[in-house]
Amino acid sequence: MLTRDLQLCSYDFQRGLVLPDRLTQKSHAGYAELAARMLAIYEQGVGRRRCDLHRDVQRVFEQETDCPLRRIQAFCKLLDEQATYNESERRGAVELRRTVFRQAAARHPLVSHADTLFEHDVEAVRREIAAGLNRSWEDVRDGLFADVIDYHRLQSFVGYESPRSLLSRYNVAQVQAALFSAVSLTVETAADFKRILRAARLSRLMHTLSSPQPGVWRMELTGPASVLRETRRYGVLMARFLPALISCSDWSMRAVMENRGWSRSLCLELSSADGLKSHLAADELFDSSLEAEFAEKWGLGERDGWKLLREAEILHRGQKTFVPDFLLQHVSGRRVLMEIVGFWTPEYLTARLETLQIFRDVPILLAIPESTVRHFEGQPGTAMILRYKTTILVRQVLEALAGMD
Amino acid sequence: MEGLDVQLSFASGTLLLRGVLHERLRGWFSDVVWVYDSRVAASRCDAMHYGRVCDELRGRGVVFEDVVGVPRPVYWSADSLPELRPEQAAAVKSWQESGGRGCVVMPTGTGKTEVALRIMQLTRTATLVVAPIRDLMYQWHRRILRGLHYDAGIIGDHTYRVQPVSVTTYDSACIHMAELGDRFGLIVFDECHHLPGRIRQDAARMSAAQRRLGLTATPERSDGRHSDLVELVGPTVYELSINAVRGKSLAEYEVVRIPVHLSESEQRRYDVLSEEVQSYVYAQRQENPGFTWEDLCTSSAASLEARQALKAFYAKKSIEDRAEEKLKTLEDLFRLHAGERCIVFAGSNAMARDVSLRFLIPCLLSHCGRRERLEILEGFAAGDYPVIVANQVLDEGIDVPAAKVAIVIGGLGSSRQARQRLGRVLRRNGNETAVLYEVVCAGTKDEERSRQRRRHESFRGVRRKPGRS
Repeated sequence: MLTRDLQLCSYDFQRGLVLPDRLTQKSHAGYAELAARMLAIYEQGVGRRRCDLHRDVQRVFEQETDCPLRRIQAFCKLLDEQATYNESERRGAVELRRTVFRQAAARHPLVSHADTLFEHDVEAVRREIAAGLNRSWEDVRDGLFADVIDYHRLQSFVGYESPRSLLSRYNVAQVQAALFSAVSLTVETAADFKRILRAARLSRLMHTLSSPQPGVWRMELTGPASVLRETRRYGVLMARFLPALISCSDWSMRAVMENRGWSRSLCLELSSADGLKSHLAADELFDSSLEAEFAEKWGLGERDGWKLLREAEILHRGQKTFVPDFLLQHVSGRRVLMEIVGFWTPEYLTARLETLQIFRDVPILLAIPESTVRHFEGQPGTAMILRYKTTILVRQVLEALAGMD
Repeated sequence: MEGLDVQLSFASGTLLLRGVLHERLRGWFSDVVWVYDSRVAASRCDAMHYGRVCDELRGRGVVFEDVVGVPRPVYWSADSLPELRPEQAAAVKSWQESGGRGCVVMPTGTGKTEVALRIMQLTRTATLVVAPIRDLMYQWHRRILRGLHYDAGIIGDHTYRVQPVSVTTYDSACIHMAELGDRFGLIVFDECHHLPGRIRQDAARMSAAQRRLGLTATPERSDGRHSDLVELVGPTVYELSINAVRGKSLAEYEVVRIPVHLSESEQRRYDVLSEEVQSYVYAQRQENPGFTWEDLCTSSAASLEARQALKAFYAKKSIEDRAEEKLKTLEDLFRLHAGERCIVFAGSNAMARDVSLRFLIPCLLSHCGRRERLEILEGFAAGDYPVIVANQVLDEGIDVPAAKVAIVIGGLGSSRQARQRLGRVLRRNGNETAVLYEVVCAGTKDEERSRQRRRHESFRGVRRKPGRS
């Protein structure tokens, strides 16, 4: 991620919007070529110093008179993120400084022209010290601060897939940097709430769920102290969450920004339609092949009046949420949730049982492998248990549903 | 009554209270900000109210289960703390009498650290010391080891070693307090004028420590937020003015200002850049009289002119910083004070490195490791290094061995920095008079900043000599 000081955006005070810097094929057609040149500098730059690489990147933008310095610095940061620098010179530099400064201390002050009062001419002392080390002064001078970050040498460069992906990464990084100042983040989605919620939970944000209209879920993401005061403390968590959100589909978000004495509050708005690309791979649609297999067997149509919908319902109580694998919807309006327990670990099983305990008043059909079923027997709750050996049969499910009346 | 179903817990830097109707709670606490958090179905408030919350609940006869962490008691095996000077002892006493909460205001160099160490020794509870920067954090670690024979934990600088007594920086404290907030009974904020920053406040808000000590030479902040210190740490319980100690624990000092002139080419370039910046700012102010630098920095995404003005500003600043003439003046001063311990404060890392390379003297920079820094400071104290150069950002509060001569070559003018800097030079050093030189570029912003520096109280009433050059 970029640092706060590399954040670049403009403000639309009329509409109350923060607009992070964005480079698109339309607005910045020439940038694909610039990105290619930047990548080439790093690809061919192994062994060169960081400050020299950065200077060369800066030169790439020489003709772009309207390119802000921060944009160039941000590119340097993103390139550095994929690079490894050699930091092993550190010890040598510290030692060299010690030697040189100790020797020079006895001759302080080093004057530009020796006279009768001060006999140590700076050039002479430099040559003398360098000679004592069997090196040239230029070599000593270059080594003296070799541990300074700017002077580290490039060791390897992983790079980006293509110039385009560097630009995509830049666009996302600028939205992330803008989010550092966010005090809350609201995401709306009709399709992908399970993955979005999981990503939010992984990023350690707290959520408040609501449903503004049937089939649409809205989650407000903030942190524990957000109820006490407007704080951008959790902005960095929101920024970390963003790439995961972008890898999901059919969503829109709106972040409320910290009010820095602006006359009106500002927001950052974004949706899946904006076409930002995440560097994270989209998750598998199904958690396990069992679910995929079952959904395929069922097909799209109705079976005995029942329709199978994937992850179409959220059960939530406080910070606990549970998105069962399927929702079975009957023409009569009856709804039954279905959850498939596949491969399991003791921890997974314990967590699942706890969740079911919390939502025990909701009708759930639980498909459990025969080898595991004993762990679930005797558990309170209304879950209907369906045993299976290796695959779940549609007929079995329909029988169980009939039995749940 | 609610009975034992009432529970008070620490959660991510806040307190959660379950089992008391929120409405009733609001009636009990007039000013503690309890907020009902529907996400977890409980009332929530900042952890810093812990002491008051307990008192209030007990006072009303509420029986509650308190699962907030209990700070570990600390038993010092031994100590080798020096006997306190009368003003230090007075500071300790007023802090204790104020219920163990509050700020002690004493000029730099008058022994605030000893005051804090004594308070830690008397309080005997798990303690977190919060320092502005890493160097100071390590310095606290050394002082605790030397004075109280305790190897304190370190939280920050890529280290996370939590001990009942630990040291940290403001930034790390702010990040980690959400998890660590109920582990300490005493929290010490060194240079506590840094605390009221918008986010940094969390270092105090998210801590349940009931005893709090703030240390500073300069409680006031230009943004007026110093009043927040009362809520976050406590009121000022002791104040010692710089005039009261001048000549006692601090040496007499004089300030000498040396204007240097830019080289002809530097001056020409400087004038062009100044013109560019000024005309931009002038044009902006025609439209918007409140236009500030801050605005220029953030608006640079928007317009080409803004970006060019900003570039010109930085170029101009770097001319001021690194003027060749300053290096020549430094040579003259080194000649003048040959054989005396002298410390140079530069305006940037690059400038400090330039000085270091020109005179082959050690420089204290942010990238220096702990060991190297120690080696430089000890070498300076022992007289192995007659001169060292430091970047201005490192100077605040660092234990620098007494120097007789200090030279400031660049750096922004603010009363706090100036005062801290003075403290470095003015540390009691026999009967000798210390000298502070300010080398500034004539006819530039640099000169104005110097004027700003001396406008401050601590420069008043000080003997001044006309500039030598």
